[in-house]
Amino acid sequence: MTEGYNDNDRALGALHELFASATHDASAAMCRWTCGLITVTLDEVRQIALEDVSVGLDIGDDLLTMVVLTLRGEVGGNLILVFDEPGGRQLAASLLRRQPGTDPEWSDIEKSALTETGNILGCAYVNALSRLIGTDLAPSAPYFIQDFGASVLQQAVMTQALTSDTLLLCEIGFHREGEELDWRVVFVPTQGMQAAMQQSLHAAP
Amino acid sequence: MTTLATSNTLQDTLVGMGQLAAERTPQRMKAVLGSCIGLAIYHARLKTGVMAHIVLPDSAGRSGAPGKFADTAVPGMLETLKKLNTPLHGLTAKFAGGANMFNGSGPLQIGDANAEAVGRALRLAGIRVVGQEVGGTKGRRVTFDCASGEMTIECAGQPARTL
Repeated sequence: MTEGYNDNDRALGALHELFASATHDASAAMCRWTCGLITVTLDEVRQIALEDVSVGLDIGDDLLTMVVLTLRGEVGGNLILVFDEPGGRQLAASLLRRQPGTDPEWSDIEKSALTETGNILGCAYVNALSRLIGTDLAPSAPYFIQDFGASVLQQAVMTQALTSDTLLLCEIGFHREGEELDWRVVFVPTQGMQAAMQQSLHAAP
Repeated sequence: MTTLATSNTLQDTLVGMGQLAAERTPQRMKAVLGSCIGLAIYHARLKTGVMAHIVLPDSAGRSGAPGKFADTAVPGMLETLKKLNTPLHGLTAKFAGGANMFNGSGPLQIGDANAEAVGRALRLAGIRVVGQEVGGTKGRRVTFDCASGEMTIECAGQPARTL
């Protein structure tokens, strides 16, 4: 089926370019942090109906390990690093250069390794966005959450849900030596952030 | 238009953000909640229930998915029960959710506002609340069983509780 390439498609395409540029910077930071082990790539920028968000992102009622950074303010958003339990453990262990922990409770050092990963990746991403849209953005300190993925996602999309039944989300995937990993980043920009991004694209020569 | 969630198995109907679902015994309805509220209104004799996954407290005249706002979800739920020939007297309500997942401290705590708005909407509709668990900073997975009228609440790292 061929669909018309409408204004909305064009807007999404333009946002995709901008997010891809920010993801490139985040990938370089991630690569440095993990000594060349892990890179990230932009998977998709998409719109999704409110009621379909958990199913559409395949973040259901599983318990997940997440690191969240919040950009407060009108031009803001939430950035969530999502890991399954073994994936999160594995990353923490490789950063700490030791075997993955087996205690059900994460140790403080494991939490710290994952939180610092969120900080490095998130700050690189946010700095790139700041530069691209010409606005200073300051993320919160990252925080570590183990909870239902859908519950965290719900709070992250709340600002968009205030004004729309359709949400815009940006998904970033992780790779280790070219192999796709079952970890990802979901960035949920506020409407103000989306507007600022569109404005910067229009202002670009 | 009323959007009803659809059963994904014989026993469990997943109710997504902003959706309403109505079921009869032996079906169960399930929602995963953060700051949202899972509200079940139930007729015990007919073992018929309706669940809403409420996202925000007040529509302020905006349109949206049928279960999205507390002030429009409750009338929408009653309308759905009426269509299923369920009498509106003898209904009871249970609800859970309204967490503050990111532990923020701004002027608008959406989880608290949702819980208050649901209580208010139920009072306005004259529906008795027989169980509730709201607030905190943890997500909840809630399952409402139309056979028993029980709402089971699961939180990460805690034993399940029943309302």
